[in-house]
Amino acid sequence: MAGKIKKVKKASWRHDFLMNKGLYFLMIPIILYFLIFNYAPMFGLVIAFEDFKPTRGILGSNWVGLKNFIDFFTGPNFFIILRNTLAISLLGLFIGFPLGIVFALLLSELKILRFKKTVQTISYLPYFVSTVVIAGLIIEFCSSNGIVTSLLVVVLRIPRENLLTNPDYFWAINLISDIWQGLGYGSIVYVAAITSVSGELHEAAAIDGATRLRRAWHITIPGIMPTIVTMLIIKCGMLMNVGFDKILLLYNPSIYSTADVISTHVQRMGIENAQYGYSTAVGLFNSVVGTLLLFISNYLSSKFADQSII
Amino acid sequence: MIEKTTPSRILFNILNYSFMIFFSFVCIIPLWHVLMASISDPRGLMAASGVLWKPIGEATLRGYGMVLKNKSIIIGYGNTVFYVVFAAVAGTILTTVSGYLISRKNFRPAKFLTLFIMFTMMFSGGLIPTYMVIKGLGMINTRWAVMLPGVMNAFYIIMMKSSFEQLSDSYEESARLDGAGPVTILFRILLPLVKAGLAVIIMFTIVLQWNSWYPASIYLPRVREYWPLQLFMRELLIQNDTAKIMTGTDAAQAADYTANLVKYCVTIVGTIPILCVYPFAQKYFVTGVTMGGVKG
Repeated sequence: MAGKIKKVKKASWRHDFLMNKGLYFLMIPIILYFLIFNYAPMFGLVIAFEDFKPTRGILGSNWVGLKNFIDFFTGPNFFIILRNTLAISLLGLFIGFPLGIVFALLLSELKILRFKKTVQTISYLPYFVSTVVIAGLIIEFCSSNGIVTSLLVVVLRIPRENLLTNPDYFWAINLISDIWQGLGYGSIVYVAAITSVSGELHEAAAIDGATRLRRAWHITIPGIMPTIVTMLIIKCGMLMNVGFDKILLLYNPSIYSTADVISTHVQRMGIENAQYGYSTAVGLFNSVVGTLLLFISNYLSSKFADQSII
Repeated sequence: MIEKTTPSRILFNILNYSFMIFFSFVCIIPLWHVLMASISDPRGLMAASGVLWKPIGEATLRGYGMVLKNKSIIIGYGNTVFYVVFAAVAGTILTTVSGYLISRKNFRPAKFLTLFIMFTMMFSGGLIPTYMVIKGLGMINTRWAVMLPGVMNAFYIIMMKSSFEQLSDSYEESARLDGAGPVTILFRILLPLVKAGLAVIIMFTIVLQWNSWYPASIYLPRVREYWPLQLFMRELLIQNDTAKIMTGTDAAQAADYTANLVKYCVTIVGTIPILCVYPFAQKYFVTGVTMGGVKG
């Protein structure tokens, strides 16, 4: 019916309910679930502003305003914890992130398809291994007699010791194991995106004499830019939540100076030391910064790269 | 695309393929080492250093014998299987229903629901408040504490929403004309069409649940009978606490260095199921990751 615009009338509530009765009923348990497990805890954030005592409960504990936050910011560990969190995240971002893209590019250069598929499959095997197992492996390989330790003693002439007791090594250990676990998996998105980059552009450039490298830089990368930016935004949003459970399994008091991050601090102070008010405050700080980073990176990318996910 | 076989191209290829072979080794070796160690002679194992390419001494399945008869391991396995099945079934159903709900254009609450759910992805109460809620509900030290909190994942819901939205409207329209209600439409008509999305969710859920240890560590501190396998593994591998797992006749053999052997066997036993799943799941896996962008 050319020329006629179909007007979509919004159904009245009553009509909608009659049409979708089943959905309204299904909606109830779902809303309940999120209210209980996601929104109720948000109300619990009030604890961050209280001197919370479990015996007095949320409503009975004393209001202390920003004291918990101030305690955190002025505490002896604040700079160290913040530094560790940022260092570990940024290392992952500046090293791990590009490596994923590079690996995807290299994979895409493999013309023997079966080889490429096999390597790909093997490359994301580590991702499926549980953190407990990986931590166990690291602990063993980095022990005083461990394989990695021995290798480093021979190649780099470091003193022989349990690598997980020396704070200087932690960031490297964490980064390398993150890369081992995440490289193959992280490259999947990019490999898929790369295959969709126009072959014609490549042909044309090759005919004009562009080398592999130039083609990768000028054609492939711009071609997968939307994917890259999306992944980058998500990573920025997760900056503060840095690899928490692996660190929790690997760290020990002798390396707190480089291994303690905001989330492990919350775990220790909250769950282990029962300092509920303080650790909730720290956790809140963490969430807020994370959300801010998400919005900031989303905004920046929509301004400069025309990409955003929100 | 026609490839010019210039010398630099050949060199690049040699380097690239070599690197890929090297990288593949790096991915496999740690696990291979553990596998070899798990069937090695325990005494030889203690003395050995370096990567194991083949088992030390006589290959023996003693370690596995001990592990598979060990009560804690059996309990852990049972629990993990239970939690995984629950999460896969309940989680997928709930997630799919939610995704369906918010994808319906003629459902007035849909938009509100979408925001309601998406907001939880961006901000959360955090560890302590969530713990307080679980505690307040009396779920600490019960199985529910490990089963309920993660069962619906906002990210997967959004993914299912996209899957449903990609289906043509005509399915629902013609079904409506036939008098079908929305629930019937979902289960009879649309569900088979989103099989790919379902497979992705099920697969990721299985892997995540299988490897999960942290919620159990804070919500089930005292109740070992409810522990998932990973938590026992943590005790053994990380906390190096062999005493609790090995009791009775095991303890007598502990002096026999088998404690070390057992660690390797437990590692393999805890990882094998996932390794078996993953090649089959590969197909959906790649689709899923690209569909969702990332699964953090």
